[in-house]
Amino acid sequence: MEKLSSEDSHRKAHSLSHGGKMVLFTCKRDPAVDGSERSGLTFRSFYFEREGNAFLKATGGAASISRKLSVHVDIVTCKCAVDVQKRVKTPSILVTKKSEKGASFQYSLFTLSSSHQLEPRIEFKLPYQMKGKVCILQGPTVLWSHHNSVLYTSPLAEGVRKIPIQTPRWVFGELPIHKGQLFALGLSEPLSINQPPTIGYFLEDGQVFDGSLILPHPYICITQCMQVLTADRVDDVLRCAVIAATSKQQLVLFENGMVKDTCELPFEQAEDIQTVDTGRNGCLFVVFFKPGHVCAVWKETLQIASCWSDVSSVHVDDFLGCGTEQMLLLFRNQGLSREPLEKFLITDLCGISYSCGQGSEAPKTSPPQENSLLTLQALESRLQSGLIVLQELEREVRVKDRVLQQSIQVLTEMLSGRETVLSQPEQEGLVALWDGDEEFNDETLDDKMHETPVLSSKPKIDKLWHRITEDQLVVGLILTAESSIPVSGVSLSLLTEPGQSSMPEVIQTQSQVFWLPARSPSTPTLSSSSPAAKRSKQHIASNDLKACRLAVTAATKLAPLLTSGCVKCHAMLHYMEKSETSFPGSSPTTAALHCGEVSVDIRDLRQNPLLQTPHIKTDEVREDLLSLLTVLDHWVLHIDSPDYSLGDIDDWIQRRQGFKKIEVSPEYLLLFSPGPSAPMLLRWNQINPFQGNLSIHSSQLQMLQFLDSMLTYLPDSCFVQPVKCTRSQSTAQEFASALEKEVLSLREGLSSLLCGKDEEERNKGGTGQGEVPKPGSTEELIRCTREVWQQNVERSRARLSPLVDAGKYREIIQSISKVKMDADLAAVRQTQMTLIS
Amino acid sequence: MIQPPSLLDRWTQENNDLVSKCKQDALNRDHNLFGQRRCSSDFHKLLRKIQGIPPHLDHAQLELSVVYNTCVFFTARSQFEEAELLLTQGAQRVLQITGVDPGSSDPSVLWRAALKSVATTALHCHVLSLLCLQWGIWLTKSCLNSIKEFREEMSSLLERQGGAAWDDCRSESKEKIPNIPSLVLDPRRLVELLKICTAIVQGAERLNEGWSTLSALQAASALPAPRGLIAYTHLLSGSCLTHMNRPQMALLCYRKALETDSRCVCALYQSMLIYRQLENSHAEIQALRLLHSTLLLPSTTEPAVAPSHPLSPSLFLCSQSLSRLISVPSALSVLHSLALKCVIHGRISEGVEYYLDLLAAIHSEDQHQAHATVSTLPKLPKLYLEAGAALLTARRPADCMALCDEVISTTLDLVPEKVLLEDPEDGCVARSRGVKEEAESGLEWLLWAAAAYLLQGHCYSQLKDWQQAVTFYTRCVNLLVKVHYKNRGFPPQVPSPDKEQGIDLCVLQRLKGLSLAGRGISFAQIDRLREALRDLQLSLQALPEGVSAGQWCGEVLWRLNRKQEAAACWENTWSHSNTSLAEGLPVYTQELQSGPMLDSTELHRKLQELGSI
Repeated sequence: MEKLSSEDSHRKAHSLSHGGKMVLFTCKRDPAVDGSERSGLTFRSFYFEREGNAFLKATGGAASISRKLSVHVDIVTCKCAVDVQKRVKTPSILVTKKSEKGASFQYSLFTLSSSHQLEPRIEFKLPYQMKGKVCILQGPTVLWSHHNSVLYTSPLAEGVRKIPIQTPRWVFGELPIHKGQLFALGLSEPLSINQPPTIGYFLEDGQVFDGSLILPHPYICITQCMQVLTADRVDDVLRCAVIAATSKQQLVLFENGMVKDTCELPFEQAEDIQTVDTGRNGCLFVVFFKPGHVCAVWKETLQIASCWSDVSSVHVDDFLGCGTEQMLLLFRNQGLSREPLEKFLITDLCGISYSCGQGSEAPKTSPPQENSLLTLQALESRLQSGLIVLQELEREVRVKDRVLQQSIQVLTEMLSGRETVLSQPEQEGLVALWDGDEEFNDETLDDKMHETPVLSSKPKIDKLWHRITEDQLVVGLILTAESSIPVSGVSLSLLTEPGQSSMPEVIQTQSQVFWLPARSPSTPTLSSSSPAAKRSKQHIASNDLKACRLAVTAATKLAPLLTSGCVKCHAMLHYMEKSETSFPGSSPTTAALHCGEVSVDIRDLRQNPLLQTPHIKTDEVREDLLSLLTVLDHWVLHIDSPDYSLGDIDDWIQRRQGFKKIEVSPEYLLLFSPGPSAPMLLRWNQINPFQGNLSIHSSQLQMLQFLDSMLTYLPDSCFVQPVKCTRSQSTAQEFASALEKEVLSLREGLSSLLCGKDEEERNKGGTGQGEVPKPGSTEELIRCTREVWQQNVERSRARLSPLVDAGKYREIIQSISKVKMDADLAAVRQTQMTLIS
Repeated sequence: MIQPPSLLDRWTQENNDLVSKCKQDALNRDHNLFGQRRCSSDFHKLLRKIQGIPPHLDHAQLELSVVYNTCVFFTARSQFEEAELLLTQGAQRVLQITGVDPGSSDPSVLWRAALKSVATTALHCHVLSLLCLQWGIWLTKSCLNSIKEFREEMSSLLERQGGAAWDDCRSESKEKIPNIPSLVLDPRRLVELLKICTAIVQGAERLNEGWSTLSALQAASALPAPRGLIAYTHLLSGSCLTHMNRPQMALLCYRKALETDSRCVCALYQSMLIYRQLENSHAEIQALRLLHSTLLLPSTTEPAVAPSHPLSPSLFLCSQSLSRLISVPSALSVLHSLALKCVIHGRISEGVEYYLDLLAAIHSEDQHQAHATVSTLPKLPKLYLEAGAALLTARRPADCMALCDEVISTTLDLVPEKVLLEDPEDGCVARSRGVKEEAESGLEWLLWAAAAYLLQGHCYSQLKDWQQAVTFYTRCVNLLVKVHYKNRGFPPQVPSPDKEQGIDLCVLQRLKGLSLAGRGISFAQIDRLREALRDLQLSLQALPEGVSAGQWCGEVLWRLNRKQEAAACWENTWSHSNTSLAEGLPVYTQELQSGPMLDSTELHRKLQELGSI
């Protein structure tokens, strides 16, 4: 077995390239009969001859290693490395001698001098055999790892040295800095927190540094081979570019410890990366894989340029002597021929290609791949842009054609006297094959039902109740189902007990009207689509008429009531009454009805049953709901999503934490968490799959929070518009106060302007009057009186068309227009409200 | 030395930059294809970097997000194989992190194991969104079984965590790493799209399963989805109801589809088919007219896609049964059926106008050569002849003649000297295909030319130019006798029109009968009664159900004073007089009632006279 392997290593000559030549090393261990024959190391160097397309032998030589025959000599590795002492790159070769007993291993490093002599440089003994990767780096330094630690030796190092850090995984390399820096990278102990995850160690000065500047932490374990391309120290910060082949079959380019680019490699077990500088055409990385594959990758694009298999070794040098580098691929000898440089390929993938012994394969001279790639990309993008232009043109042509055709059609139809059936733009959304008139009838019926004419005079009161909710007193009134009065004019007001003062006073309240059960706005487009739905809708409508009750509430601040000592209030219902003999156009008269009194007790503050048990169906719960609806601020949002249906919003709300259905009025959802936050009431009213209204009764902050979470659920293309918001001040009130302010400021501004003028005049006049005419001469007197008269005339003329101070005037006009603008805004808001609601 | 930024931060940043770039690109609609290509390659590059190191829990969220982004773009570009590979790799790497061995490479086992292994971690929603992409790929490959297998799990997972699932994972990750890897498409939107597309595809596959399919489709129509897809659910409900033999309810569904999305022309087309099936010709013509004008609108041809959504629904709606349902014939063929229906149902003047429109449209398209859709239309000579027949019925003989001239000038040179017809049963085997096709096309040309002559004969007889009429009818007959039958002594009397050649034979017989009848009538008009009788009798031999031939034959016999025979002839004619037009045959081979008519009450009177004698 051993014999075979030695034989094998014998045949597999170790080779390297140096100065444009190939150097082959062999261990001569001639099993000749003559016992004096020495084991030795021989080398031969070859140069490439273009005309003959073959390698010719240049020089050769040998060095003896051992005089004993029994000693087993092997070449470990060979490499060109910089000799620090001589400052030249020299071929170095490491040989091992194994003693007979196998107890110790002697290693010798030889260098090939410029005078073609093999010189021994280092000799050392190890109690073990080197395993794994052995590197020869500049120095020449021999580096290897053994039992989680790294050992190295060099002519300057005086013996074998050990790096004082132990880790299971090591990566070696050298930085191409002017004074070469050898380093080793390892993983730091998992427990040490202070240290960076990757430890770097400089062999020269023993300095420890953060290794992730060269290779990021996760890559240490998977790097199979690496090369530092450039390195630089700027302000004591190491900046470097590194190429590494990983066990994940990737070639990764790092810049300053960051992954710049990657390239998928087609083979496994990368062993060695070399760089080929092909001159103008850029650089190539050549990766050699253990099973004998080679892959060349362009440095700029990190794209694979070419691959070969069945290669025994790859060398990079200027074999042709043309100034740029080529790679030499030595293929494995299939036959038993002893000649090592028989099958080879020299190429730089940019026009240079010499090959020999590769069977029928003709020498290929491939054009620069990169150029064709660029051309291809450029052509492709031109094609793409051309295609887009073409498509645009085609679309335009189609549109034009269609327009032309339509116009021609219209023309011909006009000529032939036919009716034009074509394309009003409204027809684009054409839908129905037959449009029935039923819908129209339906709606009018609906309208009638909404505003049922009053027949009975007085509304009948079902129940009067009151609640203290938040800091407000809510008084509510539920009317019986029979009492049908128009909703528009109904309100409830509270009066103080007449006993307190001589006259009952009206307490400032806010009144609201609700339907019980809550009505949904009519949705004719949706429900008229099928006859079945139509029937059911009418059913509901008739139900409405019978079972719908009206609830009126009034809310007022509790504190002023209590401070004024008022404990009893009277509730008055105001409503519109149409006289029975009414004719169209007659204005309905308002009527008031005393409905009873409520006594307010501060101790009455009990827990709201609604918030505790929303699933119970009692009158109390219903009253709670009504008082909450009265007290809480109210927003109605119209949600419209024209392109994307909304889905089941109700379901979404219910699935959110804490929302419960209220049984007395199931269209409302309640969110109440015991705590400082106020309860929240929601009501979703879907108009069609693409539109709906959302009513929110809550504090403003809660509303905004809810909307925020809802927007993540709603489609992106949806519009949310506030329809109605009844906060403490309604738009009508805002409008009224704005108008009032406008009138006031107009009056004030004008009067101040004129008054100022008057005062001025008066002052002037005063001085005039102070000028007492001297008695004595009548002429003087006459002159004086004439002057006064003249002044009076002028003053009265000025008063008729007064001259005012321009600056002041401008000021006033400015302030008035500001006020006017506010009023206009309020007016717009008010009209929008009335239009929408 | 300064600490370099961690790979994770750097890659997350890179991912987020790419996402915002892609979203920007998507707004710029014109270069969508281009942008998508670049995005997918950029994301793939980033993914290769991330997957270049061993899987690690710290990187998992980022990695899965990038897998998701890459696969979204791969799917958008229909690179389903590549996307599926990445998804499987993603699941495998998740399992490597959690140290679980699925024990099988079966995708469903793999996904189950992956979901289970991260069930309680923040990675769960990431794995879930990858599974959603896998669901989409299954959908494109119509692997409904795989989807079904996972549907319960998926829906329960999605339901249980509700809409909050994705929110949760977002907030959780917010705490851990400051910059969260962003996604190019909200997984919730993806799920919504997949849900409705799955419902649509499944509905299309199970149209004949009745109520269960119908209720599934109804449920799907309430899902949040793009407008066009909601319309499809209504469309499919309609088709389902059609299968259940409930055409009126189907019509309602189609109407709902149109109401939902006015671009859903297939609903209009399907309702037209129902009207046709119900034989409601008025509504059918109405629907055809609407369909035609809708197809001419520019908006119908462009599909509706939200601009910021990289995945178009059409990617997932590639099932065959569905595409059969949503395909609509071209505007031209709709116009043709409209014209034909009008003519068949006696709305001649409308039909004529539509035919003229159609010919004009074809002419202008010929000049622009914009579309290749003409192939679904009948061949041009046939259209000309149909239009000619319509014009003739509308009493516009001059226009009809012009069209016929056109047909004759194009076809006459191509008519072979002799057409040998095989017995259809054994002919196919005996002769090579090429020769047979040649014979068929020869027969086709011959029939067109003959029909053109027949129509011209009709024109002249309408103009009462009997001499010319005789000439053209004779030309027609001369052409028709070029057809010979092989193997048979006598042509089949009533060939079955179910085969292509069967129709040809039928047309041949009818043309023969009609041309002879026409010539006979013309002869009768110029008092050449013997020739008239001969032709009319030959005509009745070729086409026994010919009404005018029968009537005129009787009339000629009457005039020849062979009154008993005349009476028999009339009786015979009336006994099988069905004047409706045969649907399967071209319009121009029908009896057009354009020539001189005999008053049948007069004939009855004559009969009674004869009887009373």
